[in-house]
Order: sequence, then C-alpha cells, then structure tokens
Amino acid sequence: MTNYKLSYSQTDLDLTQTLNKPKRWYYVAVTLLGLGVAWGAGSWLYQILTGIGVSGKNNPVGWYLYITTFVFWVGIAHSGTLISAILFLFRVKWRSSVYRSAEAVTVFGLATAGLFPLLHMGRVWVFYWTLPYPQMGGLFPNFRSPLVWDVFAITTYLTVSSIFFLTGMVPDVAIIRDKAKGWRKKLYGFLAQGWQGTDNQWRHYTAAYVFLAALATPLVISVHSIVSWDFAMSIVPGWHSTIFAPYFVAGAIHSGLAMVILILIPMRNAFNLHPYITDHHLESLAKFLLFTATVVGFAYLIELFIAWYSHNQWEQAIFLYRAFGDYWFAFWALFVCNLLVPQLFWIKRFRRSIPFLVFVSVAVTIGMWFERFTIIVTSLAHEYIPFAWGLPTLTWSEMGIVVGSFCWFFFLFLLFAKTLPVVSMWEVKEQLDPPMAGKK
Amino acid sequence: MFDWYDYRSMSKYKGPNMMAVFPAMDSLLLGIDELKKAGHENFLVYAPVPHHDIEQSLHRPKSPVRVFTLVGALTGFCTGWALTIGSAMHYPLIVGGKPIISIPPFGVLAYILTILFGALATMIGFLINARLPQLRLAAVYDERLSSDHYGIQVFCDEGKMKEFEKLLKGCGAREFRRAEH
Repeated sequence: MTNYKLSYSQTDLDLTQTLNKPKRWYYVAVTLLGLGVAWGAGSWLYQILTGIGVSGKNNPVGWYLYITTFVFWVGIAHSGTLISAILFLFRVKWRSSVYRSAEAVTVFGLATAGLFPLLHMGRVWVFYWTLPYPQMGGLFPNFRSPLVWDVFAITTYLTVSSIFFLTGMVPDVAIIRDKAKGWRKKLYGFLAQGWQGTDNQWRHYTAAYVFLAALATPLVISVHSIVSWDFAMSIVPGWHSTIFAPYFVAGAIHSGLAMVILILIPMRNAFNLHPYITDHHLESLAKFLLFTATVVGFAYLIELFIAWYSHNQWEQAIFLYRAFGDYWFAFWALFVCNLLVPQLFWIKRFRRSIPFLVFVSVAVTIGMWFERFTIIVTSLAHEYIPFAWGLPTLTWSEMGIVVGSFCWFFFLFLLFAKTLPVVSMWEVKEQLDPPMAGKK
Repeated sequence: MFDWYDYRSMSKYKGPNMMAVFPAMDSLLLGIDELKKAGHENFLVYAPVPHHDIEQSLHRPKSPVRVFTLVGALTGFCTGWALTIGSAMHYPLIVGGKPIISIPPFGVLAYILTILFGALATMIGFLINARLPQLRLAAVYDERLSSDHYGIQVFCDEGKMKEFEKLLKGCGAREFRRAEH
C-alpha cells in the first residue's frame, strides 16, 4: 500500500468493485467447478444407491480416501483462524488485507470436511445417530471415544468460525448497502441487519470481536489435536504417538497457509487488488510457511527417530513399510513437498516471486494430502498380524467424490468472491489516517 | 462490574433529533467536546471505523458483552460435564475397561462446549446491546456515514436545535438533517 494513495473513499471504491458484474472467465470457472461438483454428487448418489462397497475401502483399510480427505480439509481450515483470530489478538497489521479470504478458506474448508464423515458412513440417512439425543433403541454417543469428541470439535469450529466470519462482515455489508441500488440495496440491507456505525454499536462490536477472537484461538490448537486423537488414542502402529497433536496442528497450519496463498494470488490479479494485497503480505505468508515446514519436518524426523530408538518392532516395521512398501511414493512425496520444497523460501527472491509462491503452495497442498494418506492408509494396511495385511482399491466413485470436494471448495469461494467483500474494508480503513480538517 | 447503562440509556435516544454531518474526524471530536461543554450528553456518534480518539472523548462505559461471554462460557462448561456424566450414568456401559465417569475425556467435551456456548452468548450479547437487527435505519441517517463521513445525532427539544446547529457548524459540520418524532 505504499505507492498508491489510499483514502477511506478510495478503499470503498476499490473493494466494492469486486462485486461488479462478473467477466467471462468467472462464468467459465464457475461452470467447470459446477461440473466437478456434479461429478462428486453423482458419485455419492451412486454410492448411496449401490452401497458403500463401491468405495475402495475394505478390511483392513476401513479408513481410506474419505478420512484422508476429511483430515486434509480440516487442516486447510486452520490457517484462516490463525490469521483472523490469533494475528488479530497480536495486533499484526498485515493481517487486515488477507484475513477475510483466509476466514472464507476456514468456513468453506470445514463445510467441505464436514461432508466426509457423512460420505464415509455409507448410510447417511442415519447420521443423526451420532448426536446425543434420547432414543428408544438405547443408543447414545460414547463420550469416551475420540470420534465423538471430533463430531463436537468440528461442529463447534464450524459454528464459531461462521459467527466470526459473518460478524466481521457486518460493517462492510452496511457500506455495500449504502452504495447499492434496487434489489441489491434490499439484499445487503437485510444482511447488514440495520448496522449504522453508531458509537454504541462499535463499542459492543469491538468488544464482541475481541472475545470471539479469544474463543476461536484455542480452537486452532484443539480441533486438529482432537482430530489427531482419532488416531493416537488407538494402539495401531504409526498412530499411537504422543506427538500427534502438535504434529497435526503444525501440518494443518502448513497446508492452510499454502491454500491461502493459492487463493490470494489469483484473486489479487482478478480483482486488481495489488494495493491491498501486496508482495509484503505474500512474503509474510511465505515466511510463515517456511516456519511451519520446519516444524512439520522436525515432527517427521522425530517420528522416524523414535521408531528406531524405541526398539519397538511393530513401530519400526510400519516406518520401513511406509518408506519402502506399497505406498513409498506417498511417503517420499510428503518429505519432498512439505519439508524440502518450502526451504526455497529462505531466499527472499523466491518469497517475492509469484511463480515460486504458487509452485511451493501447490507442492505443499499435494504433500499434505499425501501426509494424511500415508499416516492413515499405511498403518491400517500393515498392522500387527501379516495374515490381516491388505490393500484398498482405488475406485472411480471414490475418486469422483474427492475431486468433487476440491471443486465444491473453490465453487463456494467463487460464489463468495462475487457476493461479499473479499477484503475487509473497515479494517483496511482502520490502518489509514482518518480524514482531517486540521481543527484539533 | 456489570453496568446497566445501556439498558437505561437507550430511552434517551428518542424524540426530536438532528444529524450533523462532518467530513473530517478532528471536526467531529471538536463537536463532541463542544456539546459536552454545553452540558448536553444526549447524542450518538456515527463513524465509518472505530477510533480510540472518539472512544476517549465519549467516555462511554465498558461494553457488557463480556458478561454474556462469561455466563455463556460457564454455562457451556457446566453443560459439558452434565451431558457427559449424566449420560454415562444413564447408560452405564463399560467400554475398553475405562471408568463409567472418565474425567479426562469428559473434560474435552466440557472444554469444547465452553467455547461453543461462549461464542454463541457473545453473539447474542452483541446483538442485544447493539440493538440489532433493526428494521429501519435512523430517519436522519446519511449514506456517507459508513464510508468517509462522521455524524453526531443530537437528541433535544426543538427549541435547542438551532443553538446546537450553530455550535456544531462552528466546529466544522457541513450538513444538518432533522427528524420529527
């Protein structure tokens, strides 16, 4: 924001133009993503009509692509809250231009992740059996199970993130309402809920915002810790580990940051937001990514070390299997993509290069999916008894659902980008000097 | 600790009023000071963004939203324990050799519900205190107030309006709008 003279009115003008009539590329992108979503929905319908057997999971690998992708999307969601809540509490200034999109990544990531336990269930029409309610059959959630903690954790995370996301948007929606005409004025007037920016409203708003940020902050740590306990609470080799909670949280933030960078770069170009999302913002995210890469890399190495140092034959066997067994490519891909490739960001030139930012972010996104795949699938495929070893099968319907989930995520983001402000106007304005007349 | 200021004071913001629109923040701050010097406290300030200088010149009490957050979080904490212990006692089924009432796993649920209820109560507290949703905007509301202008909505008798208009004009107010109630 250095070479471009920003003012309150200029900011409103620049940031509301993102809502102008879409160009042709937008319609093309929405259509293609819509087709991907339709493929995923069709695959799900096929699975419902035919049975869960059409997915590739089997015995012993009962958790396959659905749970892998579920953990991946929950992880993607984490950086949004990190950027919006934690950096807010630490008063990090560069956050104001990027946090709205990062929050959208959180909400849409969770909306995507939330589908996978339902998909994995098979009989989705009885999903409500997971909820605590008194019923004749005497069925009730076992609160000692981490799977039930997970249901509560993800639902809470989605609820709190959505509240934080929507509350943060109210003053911006009021700006759009005040500039709009016709049906748009009515729509945004409804969404703004009568916000006028009085000192009373701002007083309660800023108080509520701080408390929501404070409440969302521990969720960044706890949600993926609880997801990790889905695995770590069991006695499966490669899962039963005390480092899983911090290891998963670091990985979640790592993948989420990569996704935020991947979203911000095309959005900045498409909406000409260069004065607001600067190279400095992207570089700050790249530095963060480098930090999380080292934490994740440390966790990978510690896992290997402990497997060797423990003298536990099953633990050693599973890590040898991961490195040289059926899924060796996934194991080495996660090392290369998550640990080695981000090391490029030690060099400033790469942190400021858009092609490298995209390259590293794509690599990390792929690497983090492979990390989840490696942890989940290899441990189940190669557990204690050789007699029970086995491999899952990759099926078209399961692949369709996984690809469809990616399309669904980006589809939601594109709809959001054309209906609501992608950069927080009031928080960007808060960073600027207010209009002055030289009176005081 | 908890100030009922907001509930008492909202009745103040009724009756005949006028909006003074300021193009600059320093003029607005001057206007606030002058109104206070004139002994008039019955006004609302409109701003596109919150600002410490405005807060300091207004001296409003702390927002009671924090009380909603605390009550909500404590309710969630208690609900978490009650739900888990209560249901375990109603369905006393030993799983994996763990005790019927297992404190560490139930603590996870209590923690999650503390945050969930705290966040929901915070939102409710904000909506109640900020008087949202409102079906109609103030009759004197100006659409520039959300963008780059400031406003003071003064509630006073018709007789005093001229006096305050003159006062605020001297501080830098550019436009005035009046509403009858």
